[in-house]
Amino acid sequence: MPSAPVSDAQLIARVLVQDDRHAFGELVRRHQSAVRSSLRRLTGGNHALADDLAQETFLLAYRNLRSFRQEAKFSTWLFRIAYNAFLADARKMKELPLPEEGEDRELAPPEDPAAPLARSAALNVDLERAMATLSEPERAAIVQCYHNDLSHEEAAYVLGCPVGTVKTHILRAKQKLKARLAGWGPES
Amino acid sequence: MMAGDAMDRRDDWLECTLRAEAADQGAQYLADDGFTARVLVHLPPPAALPAWRRPALILLWLVAAGAAVAALPDLAYDLFRSLVAAVVVVPLTLSRIMIALAVLAALAWSAIVYVMREE
Repeated sequence: MPSAPVSDAQLIARVLVQDDRHAFGELVRRHQSAVRSSLRRLTGGNHALADDLAQETFLLAYRNLRSFRQEAKFSTWLFRIAYNAFLADARKMKELPLPEEGEDRELAPPEDPAAPLARSAALNVDLERAMATLSEPERAAIVQCYHNDLSHEEAAYVLGCPVGTVKTHILRAKQKLKARLAGWGPES
Repeated sequence: MMAGDAMDRRDDWLECTLRAEAADQGAQYLADDGFTARVLVHLPPPAALPAWRRPALILLWLVAAGAAVAALPDLAYDLFRSLVAAVVVVPLTLSRIMIALAVLAALAWSAIVYVMREE
């Protein structure tokens, strides 16, 4: 009979009580994809930087595991650490990705309407470009609420700001995205 | 009214696009590719006990035993007498001495293991 899967809380308890590194390894294995993926989004697709920040995230999580009070899900707590690591790195570098030349233009679908797959891929590329033009808090709010599928309350916990601020960032981000992607959309 | 409808349609379209793109990305599980191993290698080393702790613990046990004897001298004396009586009553042979030593060694070993486990 297959044994019941061990919960995150049980693994955390093993790490805290016995310093069980295998248990911590299991936690990393479970959450690495979501954390790395989220950081790839925040860093604008810089995979190497995202993986470095993800590694830092898990090391910080290990060091601060005693401060995790189960108020939020473990994954949400990890997203919060990851976002703080990203912010610290961005401040250290003191440079956010600048828009490439010609990025002010409105993004529109390709000319060939007979290629739906190409159209979908092009939309993803344009959405990524449009995301890169958002301010860092706006992009972070979109990443947390859509990509990480968090509620506004959870996103506020991760971003360390009030729920109302998250909603404002989302609203502004959507306005910018709509303007940038005006060539796409229902009327195009 | 028409402008409002168009705005709603654009809102819906963007919402759907963001959700679909997020779902598409979310479905792409990132393979571990040694990531977990790299994290585990960089974990801080386990906290080592300071070198003075073990002798200090043994000394503390001895002090505690001495204190117990000093606090309850009658009980300690009775125990000692019972032990001597038991030894005197049972004729001493080499095999019994060996068994007694083995039992004492096992008890001492168990006590040490227990103390180290507690640490």
